[in-house]
Amino acid sequence: MALFIYGTATNTGKGFFTAEDRRNFFLRGYPGDVWVIGNSEKGALWLAEKNGVEKTKAEAQAIVDAEVTAAQAAWDALPIEQKNRPGFNQRPTAITLP
Amino acid sequence: MTTYNQLAGYRVNYLSTDPTLNSGNEGQVWYNSTSGTLKSLVQLKAWSAAGSLPVAKNEAGSDGTSTAGWTAGGSTGPAANTGTTATEEYSGYTWASGGNLNTARTGLGGSGFGTQTAAAVSGGYVQPGAGPTRTMYANAEEYNGSSWTSVTSMPTALNGVAQCGIQTAGLSFGGGSGYATPFVTTTLEYDGTNWTTGGSLNTAAVYQAAGIQTAGLAMQQSDTTGKGTESYNGTSWTTVANRNTARAQIVGFGTQTLATIAGGYSAGPGTPQFTETEQWDGTAWGISPASLGTATRTGMGIGTQGSGTSGLLAGGYQTNYLANTQEWNSTIFSPATGAWASGGNLNTARGGIMGEGTQTAAVAFGGDNPAPTGATELYNGTAWTNTGSMNTARGEGGAAGTQTAGLGFGGYIVPNTAATESFNGSTWTSVNSMNTARRGLGGVGLQTAALAFGGFTTARVASTESWNGTSWTTLPASMNTARDSLGSAGTQTAALAFGGFSTAVTGITESWNGSTWTSVNSMNTARYALAGAGTQTLALAFGGTSNPPITGATEQYDGTSWISSPPMSTARRDLGGAGTQTAGLAFGGGNPGALTATEEWTGTPSTGTASTLTTS
Repeated sequence: MALFIYGTATNTGKGFFTAEDRRNFFLRGYPGDVWVIGNSEKGALWLAEKNGVEKTKAEAQAIVDAEVTAAQAAWDALPIEQKNRPGFNQRPTAITLP
Repeated sequence: MTTYNQLAGYRVNYLSTDPTLNSGNEGQVWYNSTSGTLKSLVQLKAWSAAGSLPVAKNEAGSDGTSTAGWTAGGSTGPAANTGTTATEEYSGYTWASGGNLNTARTGLGGSGFGTQTAAAVSGGYVQPGAGPTRTMYANAEEYNGSSWTSVTSMPTALNGVAQCGIQTAGLSFGGGSGYATPFVTTTLEYDGTNWTTGGSLNTAAVYQAAGIQTAGLAMQQSDTTGKGTESYNGTSWTTVANRNTARAQIVGFGTQTLATIAGGYSAGPGTPQFTETEQWDGTAWGISPASLGTATRTGMGIGTQGSGTSGLLAGGYQTNYLANTQEWNSTIFSPATGAWASGGNLNTARGGIMGEGTQTAAVAFGGDNPAPTGATELYNGTAWTNTGSMNTARGEGGAAGTQTAGLGFGGYIVPNTAATESFNGSTWTSVNSMNTARRGLGGVGLQTAALAFGGFTTARVASTESWNGTSWTTLPASMNTARDSLGSAGTQTAALAFGGFSTAVTGITESWNGSTWTSVNSMNTARYALAGAGTQTLALAFGGTSNPPITGATEQYDGTSWISSPPMSTARRDLGGAGTQTAGLAFGGGNPGALTATEEWTGTPSTGTASTLTTS
């Protein structure tokens, strides 16, 4: 049995996830509206209630990768003064889903 | 009648107010003349719900502590007696997956010893059908925090072996040698390389373990007779007092002189499980008034190497497999806790955003996406509404004040600005500039009494400036550590600076008393580009980056030390923050692109509680 459910769901703001949800199951948000959810009945129900679309881990990772690539391109276009700031505002790095 | 003075040798204090509720007064009894009650500061014992396992499971190996526990292997369902290789690690609030075992197995209930970064597990079985065919394992594996490595096997294949200790000094005892075969009295000691035989148990059985290799405690589990207890001195076992209730498939943890068992069942599978908890004080077992929130058997106990005052019951089985985590605490303090929930989304996504106010009346202003913006939004506890923009668009500035009386100062506009603006709830007005243009600075206080510190000019600075409502004054006292992109909380005369980037990412924390900065305990997670909220003695730190990764880590400061707390759902850096330690607000930021997401924190700080004594 897989540890996590992967899916996309749009964060609609207030009430999208509650403190009770956070206590009930693992929940992490990633770029591209990707959510990693603890594989439990409550976690699966939450994704369904949010009109989420379940993805495979590979599909979810591909969405995140595309977002990171876009952010890297945006960073590459920044003025050199911002890029050169030591220890700060580094080029976005890859994100690996758990 | 015997008096308290005759019993205890001293009199009960007569006080008009309760004394300080800290560990120095633990066990004290006093009469509160104001409330007319006899009171005491005693340990509170309770189970509470904690973050759930990612997957429901039982019969896994487990150990560590209640803030750094682990489980490995186990069963995830009736059809999964082939066992799992999955490892989960607990942070004190949430579980994350770790490296997989090399050998999938179950039947590890109670086994395993060591820490999250130096653990060992051994034995177990796989059972493809309903039995009696069962493949037993003797093989052992060690964990280094990321991966498991096969090491020397136990001399005998066992399941349900009880284990305690550390990776280089482990103790294993009891268990079964096959499907429905007699239990064993075998004791094995592990030194990190080899297994050697120790003194035999007096009673062959399946046990739960507490303690260490040279001071172990065996807590018998059997549905009819299982309430025996034996104590190990490094050489031999001695039978000591029985528990009150015979039951099987319990969890147990603690030390040889302070242990806890809970759950289990007494009449066979399918019957109701126990919520009952028993505590061992080194001499006798007592039934605790605190019960499990969820009756459970075959769960994973965590905390055999702990202090005996805290532990975990993770997963297990009731009428189905459980993912619940239940946390045991025996303390004069209620634990600090809290959770983040989603709030209304910002209208303009941005990082480097500034903010101030409360969870239900905040203002967010400025930021970058990627160019500086002066956009300003007001939050009412539900949604953000656009209002008048700043005169000077900027990101990474300082902020002070409230939603209707705010102050924005400094920041980044290629390269830096000293510009200061005053906000009245709808309009920004330019006022006198700071003495030193800087970005990534800390800011606290009010519109008429603010403080700015640290930041980046052409290098990281430690200087402090004070705002009196009209002008900025550079103060003679600087922070001890120059840094930028730090978190801040408090007031002009009682501030807290935490984290940031100095020569490297730091968790250094400094406290300001109105005239000098003093170094205090650092955050647990070093990071910069974080946000802060609260006061000097009740602060909240959240988000940021450890260069990398970007984090959602949350910590609460109690005036002395930082306590790790549940993280935000969306990790982010360069976010805005507002509110208090018990009602915080996080908004915007980047990961990696600019975000609109808002999260609301509801926290409960750690507090001591005086109990009122009653007569019966």
